[in-house]
Amino acid sequence: MATPRRLLSATFFVLLLAAALVVGWRLARRPIAPAQPDRAESSAPTRGGELSGSFRSDAVTYNRYVDRSAAGELLALLTQAPLVRVNRVTDRLEPWLAESWTQSVDGLVYTLKLRNGLAFSDGVPFTSADVLFSFGTLYDTKDSVLADGARVGGKPLVVEAPDPGTVVFRFPEQFAPGLRLIEGVPILPRHKLEAALNAGTFADAWGATTPLTELAGLGPFVLSEHVASQRMVFARNPRYWRSDAAGIQLPYLDRLTVLIIQDQNTEALRMESGGIDLMVSGEIRPEDYVTFKRAADRGQLRLLDAGVALDVNLLWFDLSNSAVADTRRPWLRQKAFRQAISCAVDRQVIVNTVYLGAAVPVYGPISPGNRTWYSPAVVGCQHDLARARTLLASAGLSDRDGDGMLEDATGAPARFSILTQRGHTIRERTSSILQEQLRQVGLTVDVVPLDQGAMAARWQKHDYDSIYFGVQSTATDPALSPEFWYSSGPFHFWNPGQPQPATDWERRIDDLMRRQSNSLDPAERQRLFTDAQAILADELPAIYFAASRVTLAVSRRVANAQPVPQVPQLLWAADTIAAVRDK
Amino acid sequence: MTRRPLPALGVALLGLVALVAVAAPLVAPYDPGRQFGDFASAPPMRPHVIDDAGAWHLPFVYPIRLVTRLERRYDEDRATRVTLRWGRGGTLVSADEGTGPLLLLGADSLGRDVFSRLVRGSRLSLGVSVLATLCALVVGALVGAAAGFRGGTIDALAMNVADFVIVLPAIYVVLALRAVMPLVLSTSEVFWTLAAVMGLAGWPYPARGVRAVVAVERRMEYAEAARALGAGPWRILLRHVLPAAKGLLAVQATLLLPSFILAEATLSYVGLGFPEPTPSWGAMLQEAGRISSLVDAPWLLAPAAAIVISVLALHLTAGGRPTLERTVQAAPVNN
Repeated sequence: MATPRRLLSATFFVLLLAAALVVGWRLARRPIAPAQPDRAESSAPTRGGELSGSFRSDAVTYNRYVDRSAAGELLALLTQAPLVRVNRVTDRLEPWLAESWTQSVDGLVYTLKLRNGLAFSDGVPFTSADVLFSFGTLYDTKDSVLADGARVGGKPLVVEAPDPGTVVFRFPEQFAPGLRLIEGVPILPRHKLEAALNAGTFADAWGATTPLTELAGLGPFVLSEHVASQRMVFARNPRYWRSDAAGIQLPYLDRLTVLIIQDQNTEALRMESGGIDLMVSGEIRPEDYVTFKRAADRGQLRLLDAGVALDVNLLWFDLSNSAVADTRRPWLRQKAFRQAISCAVDRQVIVNTVYLGAAVPVYGPISPGNRTWYSPAVVGCQHDLARARTLLASAGLSDRDGDGMLEDATGAPARFSILTQRGHTIRERTSSILQEQLRQVGLTVDVVPLDQGAMAARWQKHDYDSIYFGVQSTATDPALSPEFWYSSGPFHFWNPGQPQPATDWERRIDDLMRRQSNSLDPAERQRLFTDAQAILADELPAIYFAASRVTLAVSRRVANAQPVPQVPQLLWAADTIAAVRDK
Repeated sequence: MTRRPLPALGVALLGLVALVAVAAPLVAPYDPGRQFGDFASAPPMRPHVIDDAGAWHLPFVYPIRLVTRLERRYDEDRATRVTLRWGRGGTLVSADEGTGPLLLLGADSLGRDVFSRLVRGSRLSLGVSVLATLCALVVGALVGAAAGFRGGTIDALAMNVADFVIVLPAIYVVLALRAVMPLVLSTSEVFWTLAAVMGLAGWPYPARGVRAVVAVERRMEYAEAARALGAGPWRILLRHVLPAAKGLLAVQATLLLPSFILAEATLSYVGLGFPEPTPSWGAMLQEAGRISSLVDAPWLLAPAAAIVISVLALHLTAGGRPTLERTVQAAPVNN
């Protein structure tokens, strides 16, 4: 007889659902325990202890020069060191492996004095020969991923080593950011890699199967254990050269374990439950904030405000030659159409709904988080539906059939698609809001979430209408982002890699950026860059809506953290981060 | 005669769900895509009939107001009563918009009314499942009948194809199919595609059953008698043999329909279903996929509850249907 069994299963289902809802309700209203005193903030950092963090991808090679991945960058940050470093808090250039430098009067030659007595983690002394080797390898290696970022006007720097403690850099032309250009270049051990370079196998050197004892660096840590797709364990480099103000040798930590946790939800759960001390990969998503806030109120972790993000998501349309030649929807490439979109979108709604208020409206690529280069004078169209409709009409779009939606001159509906990254809640939700807000001015938008790879493939083939996406950048100085600003740049998203500027306004931006990059007068640079931003804000090849406020979560065991909005928000200063020791 | 309360309950529930789906535009207070920006992830508003002073009123709600946006905390404004209006403005229930939206099941992360989306979504989720079930039953019955009636090569071929379809990894087939289709599909295109795909994935199950029934029935005396009286094969099949599979098809329908409801939910959940902002139960559940939703916004699981209720109703209803066993027993027996 089936009836009793069905009754039982029905009862079970209903009870299960009720139990889940009750548990959820209870958890949401759990009384908040008083927060414990915060020893992490009150006490001076001490040496010793260990922390664990999470990262969303694994290193596939230990050779930073051929690895563009975020994991490769993290690995280099922890185990290698550059000659100079940009302090992310002050945005000033600091001596690092080089203890000082001088600049020639014409601004073309930098002479760097290296620190005395430094040694790689395997004990071999560090000299200017290692710097020569590193930059020689950087420019000579076919697969080098760092070379383009270390050129000025497409030309490499000339590097000389007059003696073991001195390095000279000759710039091909005046370049305002100066040595900031080489901040991202880690110095490699010549004694370990020269043979591979000579044999033509440098790209394969320090691959994932290399014994960890073969690796050597000048960074605060050495990689002591790597279990693929599970964890990387970093131990203190006993030969690290830095000490704090009290003379304590850095790094403070004995050990840093980085767990590979690809799923962001799992990562958040681990963080909330105390399974990890920090999330190396990034900030708290707005939708997770309430969960972390509750955990912080219970005294389980701390929330750190790192300020307004420097990276802003952008909506761009395909303005490549093939798209411009397409006569089917000419309005899609018109400036008035892009301006209408900018006017039709209420940025504050995006700030309030997607970021839950933890963001600021923006109108260009430079957010208020970039204190040096942000220009409040560059503003775009505020929310103005009447103006948006006027602009759309000037682009040839009007409601010809009285259905409330716009059509073009041929009677075809004014319809386009936005590709965005599947699973990225900020981008997906912003796209949904754009869809709804543009519907109010009669535009039909199809939001198509795609995997990042599929989206990139369509971008490269110019097989899209528009894309809402964003990239991470650590550089604050716009002269260090030529790939975006110059028409020839690979990240000139709307029409990348142009042999010649396709439009007059792109030619003008190219010229302004070249001049501001070459000028050594800060005021002149500001003026030129403001002009370039103003052109971009008028032409709107890319439309910007909001920049998030970056909030980070760390456990109560993390001490001396210096949060910044750029990734990696905490481990950029990995040698000074400390652990609170259990008493 | 024994009373059968559970099937009756199932039929009642099913009727209610069907009614809501059919009358969705009248039941949903708002357009499913409408966003209330200041009510992102707002909790459900509970209807009351007694106020804080203990006085009775017509059903009313207390409006909610935002306390902390980032923490998504809302308070009820207990000083204001908003009386629910019935049958006004072309919807079953509404409230004065001056005091904010009426969010009977709360709002999602974009401030959209979950109740309106749930009701509107029922049309698509149930519609595509019913259509897919009909498609599977018709195709399955025809193929199964042909295989069982003719036997031989046709039987072997049809059943091998059925086996092949059954062992296909459905999700990969759908992924491959989606990859070759245009990037942007309208809601109606997705609707018909999903129905066709699910129907074609489901036909082997009724086909195998119908084939077995027909293979037995075609040798029965009544079929032989019809043949002796000059009936053609089509008449024997359609008028005499196939009706014996009616019970089996009914049982199959009650099995396929819930599985298609879940399949639609699964496909939409993994992004292969209806596009934004079209509401379907599976698409709505995407947002509830995070474990913290259970704690922070359990009302986002409302589509899951709707799926459970619908599937449960179908199973309870199935309890009242003649089973295959009874169908076969009821068929004429050749002594």
